[in-house]
Amino acid sequence: MDYLIDLDRLSRTFGPFQALKDVTLKLPPGRIGLLGPNGAGKSTLLKILMGLLPPSSGTGRVLDQPLSAGPEREANYELRRLIGFMPEADALIPGLTGVEYVGLAGELYGMPRKQARRRAHEVLTYLELEEARYRRLNDYSTGMKQRIKLAQALIHDPPVLLLDEPTSGLDPAGRDAMLSLLLELGRDFGKSILLSTHLLADVETVCEQVVILMNGEVRGQGKVEDLRDQRQNRYRLSLQGDVETYARALTQQGARVLADNNRGEWRVVVPADWKTRTFFLIAQTTQVLLRGLTRDEETLEEMFLRTVNLVPPVAVGG
Amino acid sequence: MSESHQQNLLRYRPWRGTFRGAWFGVFAIARAGLELILRRKLFWTLYGLSFLIFLFYFFGQYLQVFLEQKLGEENLRLGGIFTRNVKPDVLMKSLRNALQLNGSADTYGNFLWFEGYIVVVILAFVGSVLIGNDFHHGSLPFYLSKPISRWHYVCGKCLAIGVLINMMTTIPALLLFIEYGFIDTWDYYIDQAQLLFGILAYGLILTLTLSLLLLATSTWLRRTIPMVMIWITIFILGRLMQRWLVDGLRLPEHWRLIDLWNNMYLTGMWIMGKEHEELRPLSQAQPPYWEASLVVAAVCIISVLYLHRRIRAVEIVS
Repeated sequence: MDYLIDLDRLSRTFGPFQALKDVTLKLPPGRIGLLGPNGAGKSTLLKILMGLLPPSSGTGRVLDQPLSAGPEREANYELRRLIGFMPEADALIPGLTGVEYVGLAGELYGMPRKQARRRAHEVLTYLELEEARYRRLNDYSTGMKQRIKLAQALIHDPPVLLLDEPTSGLDPAGRDAMLSLLLELGRDFGKSILLSTHLLADVETVCEQVVILMNGEVRGQGKVEDLRDQRQNRYRLSLQGDVETYARALTQQGARVLADNNRGEWRVVVPADWKTRTFFLIAQTTQVLLRGLTRDEETLEEMFLRTVNLVPPVAVGG
Repeated sequence: MSESHQQNLLRYRPWRGTFRGAWFGVFAIARAGLELILRRKLFWTLYGLSFLIFLFYFFGQYLQVFLEQKLGEENLRLGGIFTRNVKPDVLMKSLRNALQLNGSADTYGNFLWFEGYIVVVILAFVGSVLIGNDFHHGSLPFYLSKPISRWHYVCGKCLAIGVLINMMTTIPALLLFIEYGFIDTWDYYIDQAQLLFGILAYGLILTLTLSLLLLATSTWLRRTIPMVMIWITIFILGRLMQRWLVDGLRLPEHWRLIDLWNNMYLTGMWIMGKEHEELRPLSQAQPPYWEASLVVAAVCIISVLYLHRRIRAVEIVS
């Protein structure tokens, strides 16, 4: 198997709306992030990869299994046995206990009942839910709900995990724990992970590769390291005095002014090894009053657009 | 427990086994659904009421035969001040006519008719728990991301509903049939074999029609209160309406076809071999058997078509 996912000009339309446009992807097994804002087509792509939706045009293979024309084809059943899916929605069955829920997932995958139940206990223990396994799902916290959804995706030990916003609704500690789990599953147990998210930080923590999807089109694809290197180091400055001189001094130090509202408020991008005190040193040298200095994190959307050479207008007043 | 042992427990462990066919998932869905229902006190309270009806018939049949054997040839004196002499066979005949506890088609038809009231109430509550919650909590992707189709899902839910319906209708009716053979003669089983077939077929009609209708209305309404209102409209208001239209306004008996439970009753009686002219009460004209059966079949077909559309529509993963 050369590729985990191999798609060739795959499109999907819903009436007049085109959710995916000529998606061509060749992704080797590994930890892959599927990044994109809401409405980018991530969920539609996941549905197609699981064989739940047929593509309108184009062809594709997942784990060497061809994507069939209909969700109820036997070939798609084979494909879904190789995939563990963690949906974004709650997707829980109120009234069932944790172990019943995960065991049911195992049986739906085709595991014999006893084995499914035994495996449910194992997976819940691994995900540190052993004390909550006999509690009703209604009483679970958000973090526990996310973990039990992961448990039901892992029950049949699939080689591939499709995860739709797995850190949605989690607090920072819960999010870190979930990302560590995913990283461990991918790195130590050889699971291929396709992580659909709009959070760049999640992709940075877990994934080796990233696919950027926007308006149904693949806008970028590559290693996470490369993406991380592309992130701009930006600041907002508020200046008073001879700003022209300050700007020249900044440029000499390797910084670049992205936007200037002509009232002494700038957005600047600086090199990666930039030290904040350099702003103050330049201000001292050029006799300029530095009235305000704040870090200006590049948003995911801005980075998406810049990555795909659609540079957004950078405004100062925003 | 040593730390190393605990570490070992917390490790992810692979699973190697053989998957079974998708149809095994149907039983898992049905079992999980039944577990949800059988844990509810409300179900057991209502089931207790339906069991009272069964007990009335069970002991009623026995008492009637017991009385027939105990009463001699001599006339009975009934009443306090205004006494009258009644022959035992006349008394028993009037009792038989009033109660219809004689192991005939009317016995089982009446029994199933009365059980219907409780069945309808229970199903109105069951619908939201068993199916409505799947839509309300977005659990459908949990089922459909597994190697099963929507029809496996529908069959699993129908099976769970069918078990509940048969617990209150077919199984008690079969017990009454067996009991009557014991207290009457062994020939009863042979002479009334068509009744046995009729009870089973009636049960099948109830199961198919009610489970499909419940699935369709639950996917539409999802919540308990609207479900109860719609079921009351279908089964109680429908009955009141047909009586008012036919018995009150003297419209043709075809108007009774708006009462679905009456249609299922007529279909059941048809299979049990009851003559149309002898349908009780004799004062109430009923539409032809075939028309009632046609309505039942139409309800089933419309429900299936609706489910086909609805379950595909929500097959969107999150």
